[in-house]
Amino acid sequence: MTMLEVKSVTKRFGNLVAVRDVSLTVQPGELRAIIGPNGAGKTTFFNLISGLFSPTAGTIHFDGRDVTHLKAEKRVTLGMARTFQITEIFPELTVFENIRIGTEVAAGFRLRPWLSHAEQAEVAKRIEAMLALTGLEAKATRLVGELAHGDQRAAEIAMALTLRPRLLLLDEPTAGMGDQETYDIAQLIRRLHRDSSFTIVLIEHDMRVVFNLADRITVLDQGSVLAEGTPDEIAGNETVQAAYLGKAA
Amino acid sequence: MTQLLLFNITNGLIIGAFYVLMALGLSLILNLSNVINFAHGGFLVVGGYIAYTITPYVGFWGALLIAPPLTAVIGLIIERVLIRPLYGRDPLYSLLLTFGLAFIFEDGTRFIWGAQGKPVTIPAALAQPLTNEFFFITGYRLFMVAVVVIAVALLFALLRYTRLGIRIRAGTLDLETVAAMGVNVRVLRSLNFAVGIFLAGLSGVLAAGQLGLEPTMGTGLLMPSFIAIIVGGVGSLTGTLLGGLLIGVASGVTAVYFPSASEAVMYVMMAIVLLIRPRGLLGEEGMMS
Amino acid sequence: MKRAEGTLKLLALVAIWAAMLAAPYWMPLVGGYTALGTRVLVLGLAAMSVNFLLGFTGVLSFGHAAYFGLGAYGAGFCLKFLAPSTPLSLLCGMLLGGIAGALLGALIVRRRGVYFAMVTIAFGQVFYYIAFRWSSVTGGDDGLRGFSRQPIDLGLFSFDILSNATYFYYFVLVCFALITAVMAFILRSPFGRTMIAIRENERRARFLGIPVERHIWIAFTLSCFFMGFAGALYALTNNFADPRGLHYSQSGDFVMMAVMGGMRTFWGPLLGAAVFVVLQDYLSSITINWMSFVGMLFVAVVLLFPRGLLGVIGGRAKA
Repeated sequence: MTMLEVKSVTKRFGNLVAVRDVSLTVQPGELRAIIGPNGAGKTTFFNLISGLFSPTAGTIHFDGRDVTHLKAEKRVTLGMARTFQITEIFPELTVFENIRIGTEVAAGFRLRPWLSHAEQAEVAKRIEAMLALTGLEAKATRLVGELAHGDQRAAEIAMALTLRPRLLLLDEPTAGMGDQETYDIAQLIRRLHRDSSFTIVLIEHDMRVVFNLADRITVLDQGSVLAEGTPDEIAGNETVQAAYLGKAA
Repeated sequence: MTQLLLFNITNGLIIGAFYVLMALGLSLILNLSNVINFAHGGFLVVGGYIAYTITPYVGFWGALLIAPPLTAVIGLIIERVLIRPLYGRDPLYSLLLTFGLAFIFEDGTRFIWGAQGKPVTIPAALAQPLTNEFFFITGYRLFMVAVVVIAVALLFALLRYTRLGIRIRAGTLDLETVAAMGVNVRVLRSLNFAVGIFLAGLSGVLAAGQLGLEPTMGTGLLMPSFIAIIVGGVGSLTGTLLGGLLIGVASGVTAVYFPSASEAVMYVMMAIVLLIRPRGLLGEEGMMS
Repeated sequence: MKRAEGTLKLLALVAIWAAMLAAPYWMPLVGGYTALGTRVLVLGLAAMSVNFLLGFTGVLSFGHAAYFGLGAYGAGFCLKFLAPSTPLSLLCGMLLGGIAGALLGALIVRRRGVYFAMVTIAFGQVFYYIAFRWSSVTGGDDGLRGFSRQPIDLGLFSFDILSNATYFYYFVLVCFALITAVMAFILRSPFGRTMIAIRENERRARFLGIPVERHIWIAFTLSCFFMGFAGALYALTNNFADPRGLHYSQSGDFVMMAVMGGMRTFWGPLLGAAVFVVLQDYLSSITINWMSFVGMLFVAVVLLFPRGLLGVIGGRAKA
């Protein structure tokens, strides 16, 4: 059973076609990178998969289930989590509080007026685990808005992970980061990839990250799929080089 | 029977035309600047009182031409000084501000001109009913409709053919892009506001001739404007136009059969629209959601 | 640092409650009177109920007075037509406000921002209009009269809250304490945290699996129940219910109280209500143009003190 199956998806905004007849299949445990020049429609594509809006045409199946027109929050509860190009976090809450919200939702507590001691302890345990996984234990009580960009991104990934997703959509996780931060985030993603219960699709511009981590790469250009294949195949693909790799330094 | 119905629909259209003038001004400001101008009724009243004050000097026609622009200038000053600082913030604050302004206007007009209603004289030529049969359609009411039609036509022409108008329309859809293209957004908002207030001032002059003047008359006209916008669809001026006419007609027709429910029917229409088509009749999906 | 902050908060809490408990005794000393204190409590509760939605969920509800007014009429109808029981009238008021809120909320939660505000105002005005026009039932512009709060009979004791202003003040204080306790409880709960999440970043809240519209609807409904209760208390305070309590200008007053006192804080609205009530009381006694001063207050607060009194003193968002 494929984890994600996108069939001939098109998205039109008035006269503008942002995504044109794109198809994609991702296997469980795979790490797929989506690359392409700016304006290629990558984020729009992610928006379609994650449910921010519906496609004009085409279907999206997640783990065998048709989610084409399903609300975003429903897709999340089905096991799809996402981070955004511009980090979407709760800047005026602490890291702990940020992670707690997702943890409580995942535990089914979102409508609860109160929690028993045992339940509170369980929530705290899960938050600790998440903090450890993303290396943020030391910063748990700091406001997320005050953290360095790399830590904010790690916190966002931690939040996405609290929901025990099976599919993780990461939109330019290393955007705006220096070398060290990029390395740290890439290591985090690699750790997640090794835990084969995660399927990861990431949009990236940093080719070092892409070629180091990806199992397969899909190249988008002007809303359509230009090429798809293993890193070696893509590196050797002349059309891709002309359209994109040649342009990017 | 049909004649009675036609008569009432016509009456409704006349009422509706007036609502349209008010609502369009409100809609303009709402669409571009995301501000609900609670003080719109206040500007209407100010426009009316200015007209009243200058009529002895320039006559009714002079007042009609001078009062609205004057009101617009006042609007411009207020926008520049009080509202502009609030654009980047939570829309709550501009709401509260215009709210407070409405209070100030009401009390202010009461302070300057007194709490008594003021009669406004209109040219005798207009005050005559047109025919004996349709005695209620006085020349003045037709004149009002004519003014509204001209004003609306001019507004739509402004929006369609002038640079300012095109920028306003573009700004309503995507202010960021407009700014990125080098347009001074702050000035744009100010001018847009001024146009909206011009319409309010004009409404005030017309209303003064029809209803007389009173410090509290503005607030009663605010709600129908809201409803016109909600029914017609947020983000769409044509929608507001349609909405205003619709509620005018609905209210006019209902006035015959169920006189006490004529106001209620506007709210009922609003509720129905919100139930079946929440974005409004001509509203755009995602507009102002 | 943390402990100092915590102690400060505890001290502040104690101070607030001490002031409220002893009000009938210190108010006359500063030129006030007990009934003013009662009014502050009731309007403060209303402002806190609005803030429950506005400050803690981030939803721009500007027509909330409608539910306050409905609560007042609910209590009045109960006392006038159902049974001379104060507790029952409170329940009736609360239910009327809350159920109306639940129904209307369902219609409007899909919208946000200023459009949402417009619709809440318009709906609020529907109730105003009904109260105004249906004079045979509601008394129209003159308001609903002919009822009064009934003494509380607890078997052994009986409190004549009708004629004794001090007894009534403490009765209102007990009610206030109850409702604010429930409010605080909810805000500290997992559900309360989802409300704050929605306020802090709606998109992220949605992508954490929170059904945002549904949670907003729940918060909306809860705040309407609280408003209804406050409205019922208001009717009991005046032995009177009138359409003005439903008008959107009343809504504006409540929002202003919340903003003045500090929108993101729990007790801010109470403080804001105190300032507002006292100011209004004072202004209306010295000038007939007090309305323009209230308007100027709105303008001044918005432009110069948007974070409100308690907002300036400190405190951050907490979840």
